[in-house]
Amino acid sequence: MNVSFTVLDWIWVGLFLALMVGSGVLFYRLGKRSGSDFFLAGRGLPWWLPASSVYATHTATDTPMWITGVIYQHGLAGIWYTFFSAWAAISSFVSTRIFRRSLAYTQAEWNVIRFTGLGSELLRGWMAGWQFFMNMFVLGWVGIAMGKVCAFLFGWPPWIGLIVFSLVCAIYVLAAGYWGVVMADFQQGIIAFLVILIVSFWGISVAGGPSGIIEKLAALGELERMNPFAFTGWWSGSFPTAWFVTMLFIAILGGFGMGTTVDWYVEAQRIQSARTVRDASYSIWWGTVLGLVRNSVWAVSILAFFVLFPGITDTAEYEMGWFRLGFDYLPAGMLGFFFAAILAIHLSTISSHLNLGALYATRDLYQHYVNPEASEERLVLVGRISTLILLVGSFFYGLIMEDITSWLIFALWIMAAGIWLPNILQVVWWRFNAWGYLSAWIANLGFSWLVVWILPALGVIPDLLDYQQFWLLMVLGALIYLPVTFLTKPESMDHLVAYYVQSRPLGWWGPVRREAMRRGLLRPAGPVPIADAHEGLSSERLIPDL
Amino acid sequence: MALIRRTWTAHEADEWTREDWITIVISPICYVLLTIGLALSLLLQVAGYIMIALGIILTVVMHYVIDPKLKAISNEYERKQQQYLEQLEAQVRWQRPPK
Repeated sequence: MNVSFTVLDWIWVGLFLALMVGSGVLFYRLGKRSGSDFFLAGRGLPWWLPASSVYATHTATDTPMWITGVIYQHGLAGIWYTFFSAWAAISSFVSTRIFRRSLAYTQAEWNVIRFTGLGSELLRGWMAGWQFFMNMFVLGWVGIAMGKVCAFLFGWPPWIGLIVFSLVCAIYVLAAGYWGVVMADFQQGIIAFLVILIVSFWGISVAGGPSGIIEKLAALGELERMNPFAFTGWWSGSFPTAWFVTMLFIAILGGFGMGTTVDWYVEAQRIQSARTVRDASYSIWWGTVLGLVRNSVWAVSILAFFVLFPGITDTAEYEMGWFRLGFDYLPAGMLGFFFAAILAIHLSTISSHLNLGALYATRDLYQHYVNPEASEERLVLVGRISTLILLVGSFFYGLIMEDITSWLIFALWIMAAGIWLPNILQVVWWRFNAWGYLSAWIANLGFSWLVVWILPALGVIPDLLDYQQFWLLMVLGALIYLPVTFLTKPESMDHLVAYYVQSRPLGWWGPVRREAMRRGLLRPAGPVPIADAHEGLSSERLIPDL
Repeated sequence: MALIRRTWTAHEADEWTREDWITIVISPICYVLLTIGLALSLLLQVAGYIMIALGIILTVVMHYVIDPKLKAISNEYERKQQQYLEQLEAQVRWQRPPK
């Protein structure tokens, strides 16, 4: 489809872009004050600002396409595909609280607070490099989705939508860092939420309202699409209950750990930018609720799209359903506002990943391993250079994405399945050590290749569904990392005691707690003042023994 | 002893207690009820209205249970935060911790 914009439409787009870039200029002076300001807004944000950033960041250009796809295919039951974000339900009050108390800038830095020695440094370096790559990949992925939307709407070549709008976004990220990201996210979140409501309700209205949708579903013999629990059997069909149970298990219990979902790494930055532990908890909980509410509104509007255009079999065509509701049915003059909201959705995701990738490069790689004595000005400069590298790299990834998508989805999957349980164990079990965690990552890499590609190709095992792969990888990984953990030494008790007194983790920490109490660092009612808590501890925690 | 404790000293709030576990159980239920309840409510289903009403009530209950504890933890922790931050900066620079 080619959309015709009036002057009013282009004014909407121009005003929006000016507002976003203006934010960068406005917060330029705050962003350049220090590394803490450039990457965490000085750790002083009230909960609703990072919450809006959580919501805005996870509302990307490809999100409505993906949700439209699963709802069009499965009906309301497809909403469970979006329920992976429910990890935040428990995390907000468990791992978020523990992570906020650690004060680590990144999940990579948390590794050297929780673990010690060479293993912890290997984990930090690996995780920082992987996250730098992952953020570049997400930028390319989301960027080319915007390119496709522009191609769909205006007939532009995809590279134009990819490059032009990412460049606009980079202006305020380069200028103000995380200050620019979070302030723009707040505005973008409001604009995007409003327009999602307007377009969705408009589409529902066009389909005849809720009653009209139900009548048309009945006429099509598709009333089952209104049932959110319409599975295809326990084990069989395209949407089995076993998948649903696995998803709930992964999502909800994953909240006890850190890194059990790729979203955690983005949220970790928002957690540390909140001004208190309480603000951090509420920012994650409420930001996720906004996303879930958005999904519900989207889901019903896609049912409206389904009754308007039933029987589409081409995935690429029905995935654009929500966009079509807006561009086909909104009145003239509103199309530009809709496109501005799509830009808001796009820019909020791009900006977050540009700044987050730069954080890993600056804090974990440059400052820790290259120039530990770097000044604050230097760190901000390196942050900006890293942002530029990510931007250029994302253009490269975006343009070749079609060729590498299946490989990268595989890469994402292997990062999630076999290390799900280790990501929880590192938080809740004192005896789990750096070598156990590192071996889990390495074992998962090998087992994923075997389970997903090699063994099915050789006919040793059948092609497994994704939830079956998850359980198998979890068991196979445990056969490696549990022996490694028990055959290597625990982390030093000095280090664990210092970590425990500061972070107060949940779970099996009895020996560490008793040692802290024996040393007089914890009283039955709680910890002694910090100055006393570190008396008598060796420097092992802070100077890793390499 | 009250089922839900509403006043905490900082030291007591640092422990994991019944209030945390109540929150851990209620919170995912809130997410399910709000998500499905809203979708079904938009389709004018009675089950949706009931679910979303329960979701809102449970969200209020959850905050009633956990908020005093989170406030106590936050007040105490933010008082010590500057010293922890100095240690973190020493660590990233491979230096000994400030006492």
